[in-house]
Amino acid sequence: MKHRFINNTLQSRRDDSCGGFEISSENRRSSPGKLIATFTILMIFWYILSGYFDLFHIGAGIICCGIVTLISGDLILRSDRSLIQSGRIFIRFILFLPQLMVEILIANLDVAYRVLHPKMPIDPEILTIDTGFSGDVPRTAFANAMTLTPGTITVDVRRGTFTVHALVRESAEEDLLRKRSIQKRLADIFGEGP
Amino acid sequence: MYILSPLNILALVCIGIGLFFMVVGAVGLIRLPDFYTRAHASGKCDTLGEGMMLIGFILYEGMTLISVKLLLLAIFIFISSPTAVHALVNVAHSRGVTPWKKGDERQ
Repeated sequence: MKHRFINNTLQSRRDDSCGGFEISSENRRSSPGKLIATFTILMIFWYILSGYFDLFHIGAGIICCGIVTLISGDLILRSDRSLIQSGRIFIRFILFLPQLMVEILIANLDVAYRVLHPKMPIDPEILTIDTGFSGDVPRTAFANAMTLTPGTITVDVRRGTFTVHALVRESAEEDLLRKRSIQKRLADIFGEGP
Repeated sequence: MYILSPLNILALVCIGIGLFFMVVGAVGLIRLPDFYTRAHASGKCDTLGEGMMLIGFILYEGMTLISVKLLLLAIFIFISSPTAVHALVNVAHSRGVTPWKKGDERQ
């Protein structure tokens, strides 16, 4: 009985997760430009990690990165988006990071205050938030941003609906249900509705 | 007498802030009442603490390959740490761990 329950939850999880990431077998082949871009990214990563620039290490790097590119070339750059689109999203996301860092710092100071305060002024509550994010990457970015910023932890994600545990009910409702600032920023970045 | 350069002082400040948040995370792990709220303390404070300490190490190290590696480490921690907390909390929720409400007894 318990076993069947686990199977059922796994099954439903799988159904949910297919929502945003559909790659049919026809357009699974990435374009040459994308393969070269993936190879370059992997090669830069290889150089940083190895730190050697002699012939042997460069040769080994080219072989390894080539194999990885052939096997999983469509994992870093998605095949249903053009290279320029992916680059634009990446740059917009990098520009969003400083703001996120400041908000993480504020959220941490808030948690530190509540933990160190003698009376511990916390009021936990589980909230549900509906969003229009349909892709995997925006959902992951939103879930991670929510875990790090306004005193909340993402508990569950079903399609566009996020279940969230908030440390302090009022401020979390204010941030996530009324102001919705993170949702709006991420919607701008990824081009999907908040 | 040994005098610290401004960059080293900045690095020390960053490491100090990181250590403070790590300690807060540990204190929260003991003081907070239930699993979910403890996940708040360990998840948020440890991520920022580790990040600040790594930034301190980068400032101390200067422009070398090691600081690029440390930067990559910080980036991966910022991606993987919230994901790990989410995985823990998700399992607790689906297994029916009831969250603590204001006014309840400590668990």
